[in-house]
Amino acid sequence: MASLLTDRTSRAVNTYTYTSRPRALPCQRRRYRDNFLQPEEEPMRYGNIMYDRRVIRGNTYALQTGQLLFNFDLEVKPMLDVLVGKTIEQSLLEVMEEEELANLQAMQYAYEEIQNIELAEVQRLEEQERRHREEKERRKHQQWEIVNKHKETSQKIAARAFAQRYLADLLPSVFSSLRDSGYFYDPIERDIEIGFLPWLMNEVEKTMEYSMVGRTVLDMLIREVVEKRLSMYENKEDKHQSLRPEDEHGGPGAMRDQPVSYDFQEQSLSHTQRPLLDRDDLPRMSYDGRPSQERKYMEEGELLGQSEETAIRKSLGKEELQ
Amino acid sequence: MAQAPISTHLPPDTKPTKASIAYGHRALPKLNEELRSEDLTTRQKALMALCDLMHDPEYVYQAIDIGCLESLKALLKDINDLVRIKATEVLYIMAIHTMGRDGLLKHDIIRALSFLLNDANPICRENLHKVYKLLALLPSGAQGILNSGLIPSLVWKLQKEQGAIQELILDTLASCLRVDATEALGSRVVPFLKQQLLSGSHSIRAKAACTLMAVSIPWQGKKQVWQYGVIPILVQLLKDDVDEVQANAAGALMFATVTTEGKYAALEAEAISPLLDLLCSPTNKVRLNATKALTMLAEAPEGRRALQSHVHTFRALEKEASEATMRRVAQIAIRVIEGKP
Repeated sequence: MASLLTDRTSRAVNTYTYTSRPRALPCQRRRYRDNFLQPEEEPMRYGNIMYDRRVIRGNTYALQTGQLLFNFDLEVKPMLDVLVGKTIEQSLLEVMEEEELANLQAMQYAYEEIQNIELAEVQRLEEQERRHREEKERRKHQQWEIVNKHKETSQKIAARAFAQRYLADLLPSVFSSLRDSGYFYDPIERDIEIGFLPWLMNEVEKTMEYSMVGRTVLDMLIREVVEKRLSMYENKEDKHQSLRPEDEHGGPGAMRDQPVSYDFQEQSLSHTQRPLLDRDDLPRMSYDGRPSQERKYMEEGELLGQSEETAIRKSLGKEELQ
Repeated sequence: MAQAPISTHLPPDTKPTKASIAYGHRALPKLNEELRSEDLTTRQKALMALCDLMHDPEYVYQAIDIGCLESLKALLKDINDLVRIKATEVLYIMAIHTMGRDGLLKHDIIRALSFLLNDANPICRENLHKVYKLLALLPSGAQGILNSGLIPSLVWKLQKEQGAIQELILDTLASCLRVDATEALGSRVVPFLKQQLLSGSHSIRAKAACTLMAVSIPWQGKKQVWQYGVIPILVQLLKDDVDEVQANAAGALMFATVTTEGKYAALEAEAISPLLDLLCSPTNKVRLNATKALTMLAEAPEGRRALQSHVHTFRALEKEASEATMRRVAQIAIRVIEGKP
């Protein structure tokens, strides 16, 4: 130790501070104890210090003889301090580590308990909520069904009532419309209408035709008679009379078939009767149809009214005869 | 007197099995290099030294920083048994510290360890499962284990392994299943656990009940627990001697009876009387879980009828409760029993 100090202070130029870098000592000082004590230690190097005489220990009763290496008690103290200290430190560390672990585990345990309980509570509430919700849904659904059924039933009733009313009116109206269209007929009436009346009309027509035909025939007869009488009369007159200036009348009169005699008769009467003759030509051409016959009757009536009384009376007489 | 000159001989090597640790911050890098050496003895000695050092969190941080984990991963595939055992032990000690767990997760140790699941050496497997158990305590760790698809193999191992390893696997599974149980439920964990519930060892029963509790948290789990008829066994376990088993069984029941089918299964198995007995138990956890389970059962009309005569017990519990949780739980129970729907 002293040598060390002297060595250091001898180098006053390069002082040692905390910033100075470590440097190798220039001089080779004695490093190993072996160099110093080697010859003496050699035989005892691996000996047990417990039995080494040169070591002083507290409990030796032996006298301290010979060279002393070192005082055991004094030397061992720092070493023991370090050893025991380190051991205790290490064991303390390990114990603390285990204690820490145990603490952590206890805390974890407690935390887990609470966590589990809370989780279970949450799940229970969830489940309860779900059950309530489902129950509500089911009840709502039920109510909805009931309301629906109500509505449907009322609709059905309304529909039925309406249909009944509608159909109640329908039946009479159907019947009345059918009756109106004539689908319900009295068979006797129908029969009379279909069968009897046409026949009746036919018969009436026929009868009337017969009378018409009869009249026509009668007229023809009367005409013929009158014409014959006229011709007979004219023959007689021709004998009495001389030439007449009205031969022209006889010309057209000769063309005609039946009313020839009649024309002569007319011409012989007066000139004023010519329009009447003309008028007479037209109806005589057509002997068909009742209206012509009727007109003929009328004209005949006129003519006869306008002609001399004698001719009329003759025809009438002829008619009465027939 | 002590003197400065020292002996030429090196100091006697007190621990030949351990590598000498360099001083200060050189310790770990040196050990890291030794871990990668070709010599088997060096590797073993380095591992032993590392084991001791890893108890200190500062060393753990440094080790992860310099990349010891990569060398350790390589050593996991070593042929020598001792190397593997010690490597897994180092990882276990590292996993005790949070930093260690983070580092393990970051360096994907889970997958590297999974190759050792079928290892021949049981101590190695034990250490491995210890690592998994500690990792699973961390949520991200549990997620990591789930993501690596280890759950089916763990469930499978549950059947194969025995004793201490079984307990470790049960612990691991319990923590993982709290995060996500779907995979496990798919690999028939419930029947296995049902077998474990009847095992002889009380710690296995306790841990199996705990895992069942974790399993019956998700709805699928509840359904499976009811389907496999586990509820009667749980009711039986309520009369068990060990407090821990009782507590965990009550907890599993508490979760399983949330569903209506679970409730009626428990009522059929006559769970109410054992649960009422448990209310007087000394352990806090037992009382809490039992009260909760009774609350669940009180929601069913039959349960409510049976429990209405016992409301006074709940009131007494509420009064004596030392902590807020117990009080709250007792109050909820009373409210459920007496409430009108």
